[in-house]
Amino acid sequence: MSGQKKDTNLNQTPMTLAAVRQELKAVKGKKYWRSIDELSDTPEFQAALEKEFPGAAQEWVDPVSRRGFMKLMGASLALAGMAGCTKQPDEPIYPYIKAPEDLILGKPNYFATAMPSPTGAVPLLVKSDQYRPIKIDGNPEHPYNQGSSDVFSQGALLDLYDPDRSQHVTFRGENREWAEFAQEFRLKAAASKDGTGIYFLSSTITSPTLARQWSEVKKAYPKATLVQYDPAIAGTSLEKGVNVQYSLADADVIVSLDADFLSGAGFPGFHKLVREYAERRKSPEKLNRLYAIESTPTTTGMKAEHRLGLRTSEIPAFAAELAKAVGVAGVDAPACNWTGEQRKYLAAVVKDLKAHAGKSVVIAGLHQDQSVEALALLINNALGNLGKTAYPVDPLNPLPSDQNADLKALVTDLNGGKVDWLVILNANPVYSAPADLEFTAAFQKAKTVAHLGSHYDETGHDAHWHIPAAHFLESWSDVRAYNADVSIVQPMIDPLYGGKSAHDVLQLLLNEPGLSAYQAVRETWKPVIKGDFETGWRKALHQGWIDGTANQAFGLGNAPTPYGSKAPAPSPKDSLEIIFRPDPNIYDGRWANVGWLQELPKPVTNLSWDNAALVSGATLTKLGLEEQDIVELTVQGRKVTAPVIVAPGHPDNSVTVYLGYGRSFAGRVGSGAGFNAYLIRTADAPFYTTGSIKKLEGKWGVAVTKSHFQDHRSKAMGGQGNGNNSLEADEAINERGIIRYATLDEYKANPGFANEGPGHEKTDKSVTLFPNWEYKENAWGMSIDMNSCTGCNACIVSCYAENNIPVVGKQQVRIGRNMQWLRIDTYFEGDLAAPRAHFQPMACQHCENAPCEQVCPVGATVHTPEGLNAMIYNRCVGTRYCSNNCPYKVRRYNFLLFSDFETESLKLMRNPDVSVRSRGVMEKCSYCVQRITAAKIEADKENRPVHDGEIVTACQQACPASAISFGNINDKQSKVAKLQDDERSYQVLADLNTRPRTKYVAAVLNPNKELEEAPVEHVPVKG
Amino acid sequence: MAQLFDRSSNALARMSLVLTGLIVIALGVTLDQLQRSPWVTRQGQRPDQPVPFSHKHHVQGLGLQCQYCHVSVEKSSYAGIPPTKTCMNCHAQIWTNAQLLEPVRASWATGQSLTWTRVHDLPDFVFYSHEIHVNKGLGCSTCHGRVDQMPLMYAQNTLQMEWCLDCHRNPAKNIRPTSEIYNMAWEKPAEDRPVWCAVGGEKSGLPTAQSVSCTTKDPGAAGAEVASLQLPLSPEGLAGDVAATTLPAAPIYKKFTSQDELGNFLVDHYKIRTPKDLTSCEVCHR
Repeated sequence: MSGQKKDTNLNQTPMTLAAVRQELKAVKGKKYWRSIDELSDTPEFQAALEKEFPGAAQEWVDPVSRRGFMKLMGASLALAGMAGCTKQPDEPIYPYIKAPEDLILGKPNYFATAMPSPTGAVPLLVKSDQYRPIKIDGNPEHPYNQGSSDVFSQGALLDLYDPDRSQHVTFRGENREWAEFAQEFRLKAAASKDGTGIYFLSSTITSPTLARQWSEVKKAYPKATLVQYDPAIAGTSLEKGVNVQYSLADADVIVSLDADFLSGAGFPGFHKLVREYAERRKSPEKLNRLYAIESTPTTTGMKAEHRLGLRTSEIPAFAAELAKAVGVAGVDAPACNWTGEQRKYLAAVVKDLKAHAGKSVVIAGLHQDQSVEALALLINNALGNLGKTAYPVDPLNPLPSDQNADLKALVTDLNGGKVDWLVILNANPVYSAPADLEFTAAFQKAKTVAHLGSHYDETGHDAHWHIPAAHFLESWSDVRAYNADVSIVQPMIDPLYGGKSAHDVLQLLLNEPGLSAYQAVRETWKPVIKGDFETGWRKALHQGWIDGTANQAFGLGNAPTPYGSKAPAPSPKDSLEIIFRPDPNIYDGRWANVGWLQELPKPVTNLSWDNAALVSGATLTKLGLEEQDIVELTVQGRKVTAPVIVAPGHPDNSVTVYLGYGRSFAGRVGSGAGFNAYLIRTADAPFYTTGSIKKLEGKWGVAVTKSHFQDHRSKAMGGQGNGNNSLEADEAINERGIIRYATLDEYKANPGFANEGPGHEKTDKSVTLFPNWEYKENAWGMSIDMNSCTGCNACIVSCYAENNIPVVGKQQVRIGRNMQWLRIDTYFEGDLAAPRAHFQPMACQHCENAPCEQVCPVGATVHTPEGLNAMIYNRCVGTRYCSNNCPYKVRRYNFLLFSDFETESLKLMRNPDVSVRSRGVMEKCSYCVQRITAAKIEADKENRPVHDGEIVTACQQACPASAISFGNINDKQSKVAKLQDDERSYQVLADLNTRPRTKYVAAVLNPNKELEEAPVEHVPVKG
Repeated sequence: MAQLFDRSSNALARMSLVLTGLIVIALGVTLDQLQRSPWVTRQGQRPDQPVPFSHKHHVQGLGLQCQYCHVSVEKSSYAGIPPTKTCMNCHAQIWTNAQLLEPVRASWATGQSLTWTRVHDLPDFVFYSHEIHVNKGLGCSTCHGRVDQMPLMYAQNTLQMEWCLDCHRNPAKNIRPTSEIYNMAWEKPAEDRPVWCAVGGEKSGLPTAQSVSCTTKDPGAAGAEVASLQLPLSPEGLAGDVAATTLPAAPIYKKFTSQDELGNFLVDHYKIRTPKDLTSCEVCHR
């Protein structure tokens, strides 16, 4: 390969795009880059690289004069001296009056429950400390997710303790009691006799009990109307009850038709699909092959062996072509000028699918035209995949409906003055209803509006009654997971603010208005649970699901589709398509006030705290825009302003906007972030439309974490010597072997590829100034499988919750001060317009020969006898030398007081086993040392070694792909030791002799030879 | 013009330099001592408590065992402060009208916690676990002192880092048999106070408490009975009829007459980690 090819300095004249392309062309081997700026080396990028923490000095210079600064510092020095002598304040102890029987103070309890979601519930096991839920994880015994979780279910913890949740029943802004509402609602309903004029608008009903309660309400009040509306679900086939499930365990070839099934829980069955996909990626002997045809870059496309970026309206046509080619009868493909590359791709996919008939699967995108779902089913049928890898099954949610049509009808009734009572259950239509329905105006015409919601949000402000909703961790309910097992949602804590659930509201109209949700749920399952009910019920609560409910709900029907398979014609090539997608972090806006999720860099774009108009480089050039320019998006006369950023691999002439931002009453975190894409979204075109884009004045200033984490050490110290470089830039410019992978053929020819060649040197243990320490008993290590990791971010949010990591806010993220201990580095490779990405989770590597330890003047970061790189917060004085000397850039510094020591509700959430860090302290991944210590204490009590698998780190626990393994590398039988001894395992920057304890297993891809040869060059992306 | 400074000023100048040095040193020593003084550590201080609870009366006088109130000391990092219910177990029957106990009855009646002031208070960045210390042979009185002789609770020790490290560097000097953990009057073995210990079944997986059996009565003189009472029962033995099971061959007891010998023996058999492990920062800080 060409490691030495480019030794010219980055700091020379900026490369033109042509030069960049030349650069890439000349390279036969693998070449990686992280952002286009980095590759083309723009002056802006250089400026951003100037400092390790860009803009770090700002805080000090601007608001405080030098004189003021000296005064402040003088005072704080004096205080610091005094602080050493002050006593700790008296600490009170509040013992129980009567201690609960099964509580051992200081030891957590674990309870099974489930998180409701319109795409299928996530079964959970919640860690509870003194009956306060402090960590959410997947239920390890549940057959569906087997212990894994996702960003939403992890973030739900902060949502529970959100200090901005509404806390009072209000009527026109005045505090009232629930009983007053209950009485009024019940009387009004009774007065209507048959329910005329009573309307319910609910988010998608997922609870069988709620559905049962509704059917009873309907019996009592036949004219009452229920409308379900979930902006991310309305308009998909899922809302109508279509439910095709996939099993990837036996699928050799997977074709995704705009199905983003690897990114997050927004796709039904995410946990199972990722697990099964990743399982096949673990060993090169059983690799599957993924083709992704997609309209916006997602981790699914980036992980695919072969990705084809198509404009979203072309995908139904492509699906029709695919159906025709695999031999589905009676399919009419609309005309489309396919390019040679697209034809070639289609031919290759068809050939591969036919060769793997019965062992392949075509997955339809949730947010595609519904014909794609039908076509995918027909293709799977033609290939004989039905019943093997694809199963059409009964609806996931109990009350399928056409949500957009129902909402339209509701608006008509509202405008017609027919609505006396509109009861909104856990929905926020004022914010999220399609713009063309003019919902807000219609809504004012209802005589009384009651809103049940967790926040006093946009709808809450406009409604007459507002009732605080109980969080799912505070109330009883029931839900179905993707595999249809029914889980009981059991509360972990009494409602913090006296919240009520939808069950309570519907029950008001029934004979026993006071019947609790608990009793209602029990009533539903009494006929289902076999044997003694109490025993069965307790078992269901304990294990997290009700036995026998999975099969009962399912029938292997033969492709009943309530819609046609006729693909619509693609929009003209030169029209600008606008694609609406639920946000990967905050979904439809429901998680907008969860700081962890707002701050989380989105997959592929690494954008946090904002949404943006995502475009391709070519479109950006064509429109004469620059990144972060403010643009105006116009759809049918409706306008919204947005920042524009480039998403590598985005199809040309189309723009992706994520929903869920631009909230006005989300709370202190979510209000005001991003722009509201619902303002240009219409009911008839919920997921894509055409529109126009216009440049406005000014720049938006988005927080993209791509160019953070710079290394500016000298050459002698192992850096690049030019003052500023990121790990990623190193990789782009030199062969540092940070990302190593091979194709299956390359692997077969040379299984040891990962540890050979330039830049792939192994550590030489004899090169050391200090005597080598011998690790006798335990030696903790981690192994991360690069082939399995899909970059879904679940690990990062899990780490937030486990390690009390603070949220810093957009401005701090912009200057590189985000505190996540774990980040997922995305390395793009290949063609600028159609890249592949490699996702590399990067946290402290726990180097045996750690550069940070050698420079700490106060011994605040030291090595433990078991090989952990420990961080002693109470010793740290904040010199930041350690971070400066860390080649992996994984240390995080509390520049300001980021941890919230004031807000009461957040104190309840904290993990009591981890210190909450204050200002001026460095922190970083500890390998979850609190879990290691707990396991060691258990083992020591029993006089035995720690068993393999006894210690599970928070990231490992959350990972749906099981990409992370942790354990004792001295125990040669342990999973992690076996993985670390694998010939594909390598250490990042091993040539620096840091001897990292985290090893990465190099990826092996399984490309189709026909497509691999002579790839098509794309048009320039940036001028 | 006359000299501004007299020659004697030189001596004064030197003096003042020396004096300054002394003052700096004195200040340093003072601060250092202050840091270790009971004013900061609260060693020996008896804070005001809602009820002047006497450990002396309850432990020494009535013979309550530590775990009657501190229930989770063997199971959790936190030893546990008893709920009001524990007090009421007895005080619903006796001293029902005592003025002193009014706060307890009020707590019971109103459901409001009694608000105690923590006497043994570690900083929040220190993570201490009772369970591992108790399970590895560190007695209550080693850290908490003769609680059975304290009418009002106070901290016997500073609980400062140097005090912790003093033991973590050499646990042998404080380790006692796990059977003696709650013995407030335990004293280090001596010539006239020997301890006999025998190694039990040292199978891996056997809890520490069962790995060694110790007695303060001469097992030879008192007969095998005393000793065998402390012998670990194998799972098979538990399953079957205890009387019918043949006792294992009489264990060989070793006599210890000094804490060093006993401590090192127990450190060995309780598999207590090495000082290198025990003084590693992450053991207490994370």
